[in-house]
Amino acid sequence: MARFVVRRLAFMIFLLAIVSIATFLLFSVLPVDPASLSCGQHCTPEKIAANRIRLGYDQPLINQYFTFMKGIFAGRSYGEGAQAFSCPAPSFGYSYYRGQCVTEMITNALPATISLTIGSAIIWLTMGIGLGVISAMNKGKIQDRVSTGLAIFGLSMPTFFIGLLLIYVFIIWLQIFPFPSYTHFLDNPFKWAQALVLPWFTVAIVSAALYTRLTRDGMLETMSEDYVRLAIAKGLPRRKVLVRYVLRGAITPIVTIAGLDIAVLLGGAIITESVFGLPGMGRLALNSVTDSDLPVIVGITLITAFFVVVANALVDILYASLDPRVRLES
Amino acid sequence: MKLNSRTKFGVVVAASTLLLSACGGGGTSADGSGTPAKGGTITYLTIAEQFNHVDPQRNYTGQDLAFFGSYVNRTLTSYAHAEGTAGAEVVADMATDTGTATDGGKTWSFTLRDGLTWEDGSEVTCQDVAYGVSRVFATDIIVDGPTYAISYLDIPAGDEGSNYPGPYKATAEQQALYDNAVSCDGKTITFKLNKVVADFNYTVTLLAFAPVPKAKDTGEKYDDAVVSNGPYKIESYVKAQSMTLVRNENWNPDSDPVRHAYPDKVVVNFAQDQAVIDSRIIASSGEDAFLVSMDGIQPENLPTVFGDDQFKNRRVNETDPYALYAAINVKKLNCLPVRQALLVALDREAVRQVAGGEFAGDFADGFISPTIAADYAPNKVLDGVQPTGNPDAAKALLEQAKTACPDVYAKATGEGLVYDHPDTPTWAKNAAVWIESMKKAGIVLKPNPIEPGKYYSVVMDEALQGDISRGGWAADWLNSSTVLPELFGEGGFNISQNKKDPAYAAYKALMDDALAQTDRAAQAAIWKKANQYALDQVWAIPTFFGRSQEFRGGNIGGGYLWYPFGSHDYDALYVIQ
Repeated sequence: MARFVVRRLAFMIFLLAIVSIATFLLFSVLPVDPASLSCGQHCTPEKIAANRIRLGYDQPLINQYFTFMKGIFAGRSYGEGAQAFSCPAPSFGYSYYRGQCVTEMITNALPATISLTIGSAIIWLTMGIGLGVISAMNKGKIQDRVSTGLAIFGLSMPTFFIGLLLIYVFIIWLQIFPFPSYTHFLDNPFKWAQALVLPWFTVAIVSAALYTRLTRDGMLETMSEDYVRLAIAKGLPRRKVLVRYVLRGAITPIVTIAGLDIAVLLGGAIITESVFGLPGMGRLALNSVTDSDLPVIVGITLITAFFVVVANALVDILYASLDPRVRLES
Repeated sequence: MKLNSRTKFGVVVAASTLLLSACGGGGTSADGSGTPAKGGTITYLTIAEQFNHVDPQRNYTGQDLAFFGSYVNRTLTSYAHAEGTAGAEVVADMATDTGTATDGGKTWSFTLRDGLTWEDGSEVTCQDVAYGVSRVFATDIIVDGPTYAISYLDIPAGDEGSNYPGPYKATAEQQALYDNAVSCDGKTITFKLNKVVADFNYTVTLLAFAPVPKAKDTGEKYDDAVVSNGPYKIESYVKAQSMTLVRNENWNPDSDPVRHAYPDKVVVNFAQDQAVIDSRIIASSGEDAFLVSMDGIQPENLPTVFGDDQFKNRRVNETDPYALYAAINVKKLNCLPVRQALLVALDREAVRQVAGGEFAGDFADGFISPTIAADYAPNKVLDGVQPTGNPDAAKALLEQAKTACPDVYAKATGEGLVYDHPDTPTWAKNAAVWIESMKKAGIVLKPNPIEPGKYYSVVMDEALQGDISRGGWAADWLNSSTVLPELFGEGGFNISQNKKDPAYAAYKALMDDALAQTDRAAQAAIWKKANQYALDQVWAIPTFFGRSQEFRGGNIGGGYLWYPFGSHDYDALYVIQ
C-alpha cells in the first residue's frame, strides 16, 4: 500500500509539472498583453514597455516560468522600495487587473465552492444511489419507472433552468427562503446553510441522474453474477446480499466518477454560482476569462488540475479497497 | 469622467430576467418616505466584482467618487449634498472656504479647518494633502485616476511627461520641483499652476486631491485599504464579496459641515445578479427593504417600477451628466458634407430605442449636458435633422461631397466606413441601427466590434481607430472646461482627431479664451459658442443626454440623483426609523 501511495504521489507531481508547463506556455502565446492591463486609461507604448519590465514579462519565457514556480514554493515580491509588497507562498502570481494576490483571490473563493461541492455531493450521491437501488430492486415496476423518469428529467434540464426554477418556487412564490446571500460557515452556520440549500439541490438534481442510471445498471448486472445467486441460494438475508455483495460490486465505477465530478466541481460551478451569486471559483474563473486576467486563469487552472489529480489518486486507492480483485501492486 | 461600464449581461442574467421579471410580489414594509434620522444599516447591491478603485488618487468613475467622497475621503472642497442644481454648488470641506485665487488664477490657496483627523485620531495636516496630490505623478503605480495635477501644476515637463516622477522615485532635486509648486505654510496649502485655471476650486473636489498619510501609504496596495478622514472607515473589504464601512469614531462632525453620516453601518455586496437585485428591491420584504441598487434597474423592469405608484418614493429617473455621441475620425473623414450626411441620416429615435427608449435619455443637441446648467444652451442642429433620420437630405449632402471631396465620398458609398463599438449585445444592436440608417442614405457602414475592456485603448490609438467610434463623456466637475477641451481640444479624450481640421484653429482660440476667463458668466458664454461650433463642424454626432434610474428598498429614504456624479448622493441616504 505504502509503495502504491508513494508511486501515485510521484506520478501526481510529475503530472502537475506537465500541466503547469502546458498552462504557462498556452497562456504566454495568447494575444493578450498583461502589461497593458495594468496600464490605466491614458496608456502609452512607453508605459506598457515600463510595465513589462516592472512585471517581469520582458524576461525569457523559461525565466518567467521558474520565477512563477519559485513563487509557489517561496512566495514572490512585487514593486520596489517602501511600496514593495509580497504574495506569500504558495503564490500563483498577482492580478494587476484586480490588485490582489491570486492565491488570496482563490482562497477567498474556495470556501463557497467547497461548501457547494460537499453539500451537493452528499445530496446527489444519496439521491442518485438511493433511486438507483430502488429502481434496480423493482425492475420493471412503477418505482423503477418513476426513478428512471426522474433521472431523465434531471439529465435533460439545464443547470440554470433548475436554479431559476428553485428560486422562483422557494424564494419568490412560497417565500420559504430569503434571496441567497452567502455567509461564511464560521460566521453564521444557519445563514450559510440557508444560502446554500437551493444551490446544493440545483447541482444535485442535475448530477444525481447519472448516478441513478449507473447504480441501477451496475446493480442489475451484479445481481446476475454467480456469487450473488449463490449467496441468495445459501439463504443470506436479502439486505445483507444487497449491501455487501450487490451494491459493493456496483459501486466501484460510481466512486470513480464521483471522485472526478467532485474534483471538477471544486474548480467551480460557473452557472450555479452565477445564478445564486455565490462568490466561488466558478464565478472567479468566468470573470477572469472575461477580463483576460491571465495570472488568475493560470492559478485556477493549476488548482483545478491539482484537485483532479488528487481525486484520481484517491479514487484509485478507494477502488482497491472496495474491490479486492484490484491489486494495488499491479 | 469616463463612462462606467459595469454591465456584463450574460446568458445567465438574460435567462434569469425572463423568469424573474414578472415575479415581483411580496409585501412592502415601507414606501420610502420618511424623515432623515441616524442609525441602521444600508446595504448596497451591485453586479460589479469590486470598486474600480478605493485609492483616492486612482478613483475616477462618478459612482466611486460619490461613494467614497460621501463616506471615507474628504477633500479641500466638495459638492453640496443637495438635490437638483443645488447639488452642483462647490462648498468648503476640509478647507475653511472655497479657496483664494491670486496671480489672476494661476495660484490657489486653501486653509485647513481645525479638528481634521485621520481614523487613528492623528491630525490631517497640510503635508498630508500635498503628499496625496504628489502620488498622482507616480503614473506607473497610481493608474486610472484623473491627471489634472500633472496638467495644471507648475512643474517642468519633458518629452516623456512631468520631470517629477512622484514621491516613490523622486530624487531630492525632483522632489524640490514639486515642493516649489505645492507648498505648505502652517495650515495653508498653496498650488502654483502653469496657467490660469479659473475653476481650480472645482478641480480639487476630485479625490485625486485628497490627503494621504505618507507613513501609511502602501503604494499599489493602498487601493485595498485606505486610511479614512471621513465619517466612516473600512472595516473589511473582500473583493467579489463585500465591503463593510463602520463609523469612524475619530471623525469630528464639527469639522465637517458637509456630511450627515446617517447610517451606523454601510455594507456593499458585490457580484450580485442584476435580475435578483431588481426582484429583491421590488419585493422589498423583510431585510430587503434596506437595500439600495448601485446599478440602476434592468430595462425590462423599468415599466414595472415607473408604472406603479407604490414605487413613487423609491425610484429616481433623472438626467445624468453623460453626453453620448459618436466621434468621427476627422483625419479620415476630412469632408464636412459627408460628416453632415452621417448626422442627418442617423435614425436617432431607433438608436435611443435599442438603448432603452425614453429611459435611456433625451435627444442631445450638443456635447454639454444640461446638468452643467451654467454652460448649457439649446443648439441649432443642422437643417434636415429629424429624430428618425432623413435619408433624402443625407443623399443631397452626399451629392455635394461627390465633387467637394470625391475620395471620402467614394469611401463612404463604396468601400464603406468603419464603425467602432464595444463588443456587447447592446452595442451590437446599436451598430445594426446605424448600419440600417446609413444604408437608406446610400452610405456603407461596417461594424468593428471591439472587446469591451480594450475599447478605449483601441479607439484612442490612431492606428487602430476606425472612421466612427461611439463614446460617452461626463464633466469631471460642473464646468465645460472638463468637456469641450477633452473631447475636441488638447485633452486626453479627443477621439475625433480634429486637430488637423482647418476649422480647428478658430475652435482652439475659443478654448484658450474660455480657459483663461476668470469671469464664470463670460466663460459660460464662450463654452456655449464653442459647443455650437463643434456641432456645426460635425466632429462628433451627439445622440442623447443620458438618464439614470435608481431604485431602493422601502425602508431607505433620501434618494436622488446627485448632479455632479450622476449617481446616488450616498450621504443623503438614510434608514427610515
